[in-house]
Amino acid sequence: MTFAGSTSGKPARKRPILAITAAAFFASMLPAQAEKLTIWGGWPEMEPFYKRVGEQLKKKYPDLEVSVELIALREHEKRNALALPSGAAADVIEMEVEATRYLEGGLVPAAPDNVVKFVKDGKHFDKFFQDSVTFEDKIYGVPLFRGQTALYYNTDMYAKAGLSGAPKTMEDYTPYAEKLTQRDAQGKPTVSGWSLRLSGGGQGVAEKFWINLFQFGGNLLEEKDGKWKAAFANEAGRKAFKQYVENVQVLKTVSPEMKADAEAFELEQTAMFIRESWVIGDIAKKSPNLKYATAPLPRGSIVIPVNLYVPTKPGKKADLAWEYVLQANEPENLQWLLDNIGWLPNRKDVDYSAIIAKTPAFGAFVNFPSDYKFFSLPAIAPASEILTRVAARLVDGYTNPKLQSDAAIDAFLKEAAAEVDTILKREGLLATP
Amino acid sequence: MRELAGTWHRKGFTFAILALLPALIIYTLVRFIPIIETLRLSLFQWNLISRRKPFIGLDNFRELFTDSLFLEALRNTTIIAFGVLAITVPLGLVLAALIHHRTRSRFAGFYETSIFIPHVVSLVPAAMAWKWIFDARLGPLNTLLGFFGLPPQAWLFDPVLAIICVIVLCSWQALGYAVLIFLVGFKNIPQSLYEAARLDGASALQCFRHISIPQLKPVLLYVSVITLIAAFNIYAQVFVLASDSQGAPGRLVRVLVLDMLENSFRNYRVGYAAAEAVILLAIVLALTAIQFRVFREKGRP
Repeated sequence: MTFAGSTSGKPARKRPILAITAAAFFASMLPAQAEKLTIWGGWPEMEPFYKRVGEQLKKKYPDLEVSVELIALREHEKRNALALPSGAAADVIEMEVEATRYLEGGLVPAAPDNVVKFVKDGKHFDKFFQDSVTFEDKIYGVPLFRGQTALYYNTDMYAKAGLSGAPKTMEDYTPYAEKLTQRDAQGKPTVSGWSLRLSGGGQGVAEKFWINLFQFGGNLLEEKDGKWKAAFANEAGRKAFKQYVENVQVLKTVSPEMKADAEAFELEQTAMFIRESWVIGDIAKKSPNLKYATAPLPRGSIVIPVNLYVPTKPGKKADLAWEYVLQANEPENLQWLLDNIGWLPNRKDVDYSAIIAKTPAFGAFVNFPSDYKFFSLPAIAPASEILTRVAARLVDGYTNPKLQSDAAIDAFLKEAAAEVDTILKREGLLATP
Repeated sequence: MRELAGTWHRKGFTFAILALLPALIIYTLVRFIPIIETLRLSLFQWNLISRRKPFIGLDNFRELFTDSLFLEALRNTTIIAFGVLAITVPLGLVLAALIHHRTRSRFAGFYETSIFIPHVVSLVPAAMAWKWIFDARLGPLNTLLGFFGLPPQAWLFDPVLAIICVIVLCSWQALGYAVLIFLVGFKNIPQSLYEAARLDGASALQCFRHISIPQLKPVLLYVSVITLIAAFNIYAQVFVLASDSQGAPGRLVRVLVLDMLENSFRNYRVGYAAAEAVILLAIVLALTAIQFRVFREKGRP
């Protein structure tokens, strides 16, 4: 069949073939297009770190462009939730325990052999961190840093209150808070003795409650044969909750409307609070003259591993993304991370001693008692929902005047635990008694 | 003759359909299909990530009515919506009347502009400014209270006060639009009605009650419906205003859209969030229908 309008008489179907060949020839003569890697994370303070890693990789690949897009953690989680199922996520993403959901759904490819070898090397990471990137015996990511808590306390305020060191037991925290609280003429607190997380969004309130609960020997959730159940409607739960109520409602060492957390500590509006190591870097930037120290918690700490994953389908770009991830884990970069940002790197075969010696506040995070215990958030799909719902109840409960007696607190905790178990049951994750 | 008229009628109808087609297609794509899809999703256990998305009928709706967070969000949203309506419509009407009847005033334009500005100001900076006003420690509102010897209030941390703050902010933003629409309504009322009433000795208040309000009924209906729909859909104002140093809204002023957002993109329960959206749609439709009934004039559709 020939094209009616053709004057050459050649078969028309050869025209497109010729055109495509010519286009391909000219395209091959064009300079190679720059490769772009996009990095997504939920800790904006990490931006200089990721940019630094990108710059290092650019020395090797001059055409490489690295775009670092960091937003607030909860927004980052939403972004992942939207982008991963639709295949529109970045090339490298930070994830905590919520990664399990995506791994279950097959939305993140497994790591290549060289990365697996790096992660599985016992010299690099403890088993806990290796497990945090493992799903069904496959490695999917690379551990980077962790959220671990300690007590921060203002040494000047401690000295003024006649306190020489950090509280040894969780029970000690309340009398310490009482002594440290500064009040106006009407007795209203102007500087909180202990900044407790009393409000705020999402799961933070419940995480902070869990940390305190852990000091009393309790846990929010307990595992049994791969299933879970609420474990806070008991004496430990009552003690932890009652401590909040006592401080907020009875002793008034803190109130919901007062400035809280790192901001309050940096502005000297609270005497002590429990937080992760990033605060050290934050204080250095925002309040360099603040006199403070850190101390391990009475029993142990939460550990939330933050890992890097590559959702990009295996290929040239994914290889480049994995190279970026490994570059981030270079000793020099991890030292820089600890020194300049304050997050604790998870790789253990790196010498951090000079940084720790220079900044004694890191001591509480790395030099803890031998019987110090750790816990982490469960890597189960409804973890975030459970924590959010518990948090909502806690926010109401801390300021509820009806919740001062043991009986009322017990009933409150029982109801909250029942809600948690209902969620676990719905997801097929409830442990049988 | 009748045939010719019929042909014209058919041609006109065809033209109207063709003219409306692009808008109809767009509206179907961006409105009808998403609504139908939301209705469909609400009947499934539709997890954003899980590959299993079983049909569960009305289970999502059953669960919603035992869900304390949803019920709290529904209660807060309803209080806020009716609070905003109760402030915006009467105040907007009064302000529009004052501006309209003072058109010869040199400051009429200034009043119109200053009332309308909040409506065009971006939501987030406006909410940030109000957040500062309500700040318990540094806010000018508590400073003002102190000036009158009154104790400072924890505006954004007390359950009742926090909701009042949200109502004030939303009303402040909605007022400009309401005034603008009412002004248009006032301008469409024939002056002869007022002149005749004045000749009969009617006072300004009587004119307002017996002429302005009946004549403005369609406008009142429109403003009420729009205000209520907007108030039921609030999110950004609450998110900014009720956020603490952790940058996220607490439970005190939890609203429906926030609850939906959390269920869909934090808990990945899209089917459950869709059921919430269906309930929100049903509430808004029901309220709109009630408003139509209330404002409908006798003998008019």
